[in-house]
Amino acid sequence: MGWLSGSSAPAAKEPVAPNRSQRAACWEGRDKFFNCLDKHDIIDAIAEKEKARNECRKEELEFEKACVGSWVEYFKKQRVMLKKRENMMNQLKAEGAQKIDLPKPL
Amino acid sequence: MSSILPRRLAPVIARPTGAPCRPFVFQRYPTNFQRSFHATPRQNKYKTVEEAKSRYRSGPFSWKAGLLFIASGIGLTFYFQNEKARMQRQRVAEMSKGVGQPKVGGPLNLIDQNGIARTDEDFRGKYRLIYFGFTHCPDICPEELDKMAGMIDLVKKKHGNVMTPIFITCDPARDTPAVMKEYLDEFHTDFVGLTGSYDEIKKTCKAHRVYFSTPPDIKPGEDYLVDHSIYFYLMDPEGDFVEALGRQHSPEAAADIINRHISDWISQGKPLRKGEAKPEA
Repeated sequence: MGWLSGSSAPAAKEPVAPNRSQRAACWEGRDKFFNCLDKHDIIDAIAEKEKARNECRKEELEFEKACVGSWVEYFKKQRVMLKKRENMMNQLKAEGAQKIDLPKPL
Repeated sequence: MSSILPRRLAPVIARPTGAPCRPFVFQRYPTNFQRSFHATPRQNKYKTVEEAKSRYRSGPFSWKAGLLFIASGIGLTFYFQNEKARMQRQRVAEMSKGVGQPKVGGPLNLIDQNGIARTDEDFRGKYRLIYFGFTHCPDICPEELDKMAGMIDLVKKKHGNVMTPIFITCDPARDTPAVMKEYLDEFHTDFVGLTGSYDEIKKTCKAHRVYFSTPPDIKPGEDYLVDHSIYFYLMDPEGDFVEALGRQHSPEAAADIINRHISDWISQGKPLRKGEAKPEA
């Protein structure tokens, strides 16, 4: 897109933060997409891009439509991180580790 | 029986049970000579011998004394627990006061969501709850700001308008006053949203020990996220840092901590301003 290629496209991208309803719509789209990924055993939607696209095309498109680009990427990465953490916690639990509450640092 | 009782008491109790009743305790001294040694006539504790005997039998303990003992024990336990918690809060609150303490916060020179220039002087006299974030934040900031709105209402309910909630952006490039206004009005109308030049924001964040990083080389209009620390900073009316509240606190728990600090402040007789952060110009 050049400098003078019409004002509408860049103006739409002008930084107006998503409002409450837009955020809710984005989170809903995310949850639907992630549910679909769960069904097909896909954890990393970036690494397994092709598989995710084949199995959850519709959900992914809706997710991408509802959220701004940076959020889509953020949520996909966050999903991987959360899954890793969950696995690690489960593994530790299986090994008999005990959860301790650390005292609040002052 | 004597084995249970303390040794000192045992003979006193044992004596009258066997011995015949001797009246000397109850006798008034009849002569003036003896009276001169006793300026006030001796007060007899017991009117009858039976009363005196029963007093001896039960010893110095009675159910009334027992009750008093338990009641004062419970009372003191509560008092000391309460006092301990208060001292703990005071220690936290005064940690940033005095010499040799790291300074959190300090002067700021920013613009609020209505385009009015604000310095830290404007917020003096009231408590401050500060949150750093950015309006394009995907999930954490909105959640935290909703929590903060809950805290604002709970503190207001208890103490009135004695706390200014402040949102400082870490993304001044996109968060103009207009963007901030639209964004914050959705959470709570009490919010003061501060933005400014990149350098001023950077300075303010550094003063509050807030880390943030904007990705390098952003083209205009490009969409990006800002990485930043997520804590609520409670500052007292003198602008000194009191305590950081984190994601682990529910709005109720956080409001409770804040309310207790405010109560301590008031009970120490320190001045606290109510009302607007600054009369609108």
